[in-house]
Amino acid sequence: MTAPGEPPPGTGDSLADRQSALVAALVAGGPLPPGFAPGPVAAARRALLRKRAGDVARHWPLLAAGLGAGWPAAFAGWADGRPTNGSLRDGWDLARELRAAATLPPLGAEELALREAAARYDGLTPPRPRRLPAAARAGGAVAVQLAGRVRLLRPAQR
Amino acid sequence: MTGPTAPPAPPGTGPYGVGIGWRPEIAGFVAGLPGLRFVEVVAETVAPAGALPDGLADLRGRGVTVVPHGVKLSLGGAEPVDPARVAHLAGVATALDAPLVSEHIAFVRAGGVEAGHLLPLPRSREAVAAVVANVRRTQAELPVPLALEPIAALFDWPDDELDEADFLTEILDATGALLLLDVANVHANARNRGGDPLALLDRLPLERVAYVHVAGGAERAGFYHDTHTDPVPAEVLDLVGALCARHRPPALLLERDGHYPPAAELRGELDALATAAGYPVVT
Repeated sequence: MTAPGEPPPGTGDSLADRQSALVAALVAGGPLPPGFAPGPVAAARRALLRKRAGDVARHWPLLAAGLGAGWPAAFAGWADGRPTNGSLRDGWDLARELRAAATLPPLGAEELALREAAARYDGLTPPRPRRLPAAARAGGAVAVQLAGRVRLLRPAQR
Repeated sequence: MTGPTAPPAPPGTGPYGVGIGWRPEIAGFVAGLPGLRFVEVVAETVAPAGALPDGLADLRGRGVTVVPHGVKLSLGGAEPVDPARVAHLAGVATALDAPLVSEHIAFVRAGGVEAGHLLPLPRSREAVAAVVANVRRTQAELPVPLALEPIAALFDWPDDELDEADFLTEILDATGALLLLDVANVHANARNRGGDPLALLDRLPLERVAYVHVAGGAERAGFYHDTHTDPVPAEVLDLVGALCARHRPPALLLERDGHYPPAAELRGELDALATAAGYPVVT
């Protein structure tokens, strides 16, 4: 829908196009749109990463606690240039990447194992609760889910 | 937890006095405030069809007004607001028997990409038209009035046609919306983008203020960040006093979103807010 007085979409200078370009610059590694001051926009980009780090830490408290003081930097390093898919999926994707790199801390491994025993997540669409009994492993941690109840069978290696 | 001296407000009255943003992490603290008459809850965290979070249900039972505060509607987006998000906000207002709801003059996504937080609009006629259209679409579905909150931003668009006061006043005049004035945002914008915060207060339609936000922030790398995770600075409390000297708003609300301090510290911030505004303490 085009508001009165708005140029037609797709011309590159409609409000929609310019908002898209700004969001891309802030969260998707896009170039700075013409006319914006680089310093303040860079500060806003970093502020968005800090905000996201706090939001993801609320959804993945053990992952964040496991990384301790390194959490904000670890999250920002992973998230910079990568738009959010929501805090649950962001934390899940990061935890899997750390597991693959064998740098997932034990607390994060246990949290990931519990989440993966409880829900199926294909990395592309929102996680869905598992209906059948399941087990999941991360960093030596083993979690099982039976009839919707999830528990940690074995803690991660410390 | 209701104290013997707390006169419960009748259900659904407008925000009054000093309130606090209700968050699950501080639900116990909020429940223990004997004089509290209103809180705000992030609308996206409430399921209108399901049970209310325990703490919120208790507050409603005490007659505490709960105002749903939306953060993801993207009223300033060039695209029309998502009808499902509008319906959710309306449903939360009904579930909480809220006297009004609030949202931001901002956009949070564009071209299918989420920004993750509130982003500023160009102060242009085109942006005014986009906001007004989205506010009207939203108002058409809401059972209660809508209050609009100007945001804090670190940068400006290159092509502003209006100043902040004219930009906001045009939107409010065209929509009849109420104003949710955030004095910490006024401070942050003046500090980071220039301008005199008192001159802005002089030009805003203060009689339209439904309530006021107050929050803490911190200086970092040459910018003042409106973090909601740091103490309320003296400059922001001074602005509360300056605002009340011009036109005292019916209510003021402390927003805290993380790094929660000890209860005594949070009580101290609420008391300082009450003192600065001349309202009864709620602690």
